[in-house]
Amino acid sequence: MDKKRAAFFSIFLFLAVNVFALSNAIEGYYGHEDGRVYGAVTVALISTLLATVAFFIWKKAEYKK
Amino acid sequence: MSDDKKQTHHEDDKDMIKLIDNLNRKDDVHLNRRAFLKASFGATVAIGLATTPFGIFTFLRDENGEVKRVEVTDIDDLAIGESRNFNYPTKNEPAILVRTPDDKFVAYNNKCTHLQCPVFYEHKENVLLCPCHKGYFNVDSGQPMAGPPQRELPKILLEIKDGKVYAVGREIRHG
Repeated sequence: MDKKRAAFFSIFLFLAVNVFALSNAIEGYYGHEDGRVYGAVTVALISTLLATVAFFIWKKAEYKK
Repeated sequence: MSDDKKQTHHEDDKDMIKLIDNLNRKDDVHLNRRAFLKASFGATVAIGLATTPFGIFTFLRDENGEVKRVEVTDIDDLAIGESRNFNYPTKNEPAILVRTPDDKFVAYNNKCTHLQCPVFYEHKENVLLCPCHKGYFNVDSGQPMAGPPQRELPKILLEIKDGKVYAVGREIRHG
């Protein structure tokens, strides 16, 4: 799998991770499980950062002349 | 050129115009692979950032929240198989202390996790019962056993010292 394709699909993977993290953050918040909330927020932020990197990799390859 | 051929050419042109019309549609420009990926990326970032307020509010709650230590009752005032209502951690949050047949003290917030009805201790069956919709909770764990409730009752942590029972904390999710 080339770099562009990997970046393309990884964004959907990170999207799924973020959905999972958000649901955990909400459940943890209302269940007063502080550790679970902090864990979910950390995972979501890292995942978002990686998605941003993947997006720019894809963009660079996609619009290359 | 014969009339038949002219007619055919004319019809071909019409078909080509149809194709061009199709290309000019807005949807074809805006709904494509690139736009789909950009929208997905936007959703990823939005959902990822949506978790941060929960982290911030949890942190602020920690800063404000002090573990309260409240005296509930004397051990001698509560016989085995009896229960007593009290409020913990605030006056608006009712709770129930039970001295089980095994001579253990357990306490839970006694709002049913289904529709917030008060929960009572049933001595004969040794269960916590919500009479509104017949929700049953295990008295030892606070977990739902039967009826509509799906979540456990918040557990109040107890400490027994000098013949008195103190409430010292709370776990909303447990077990």
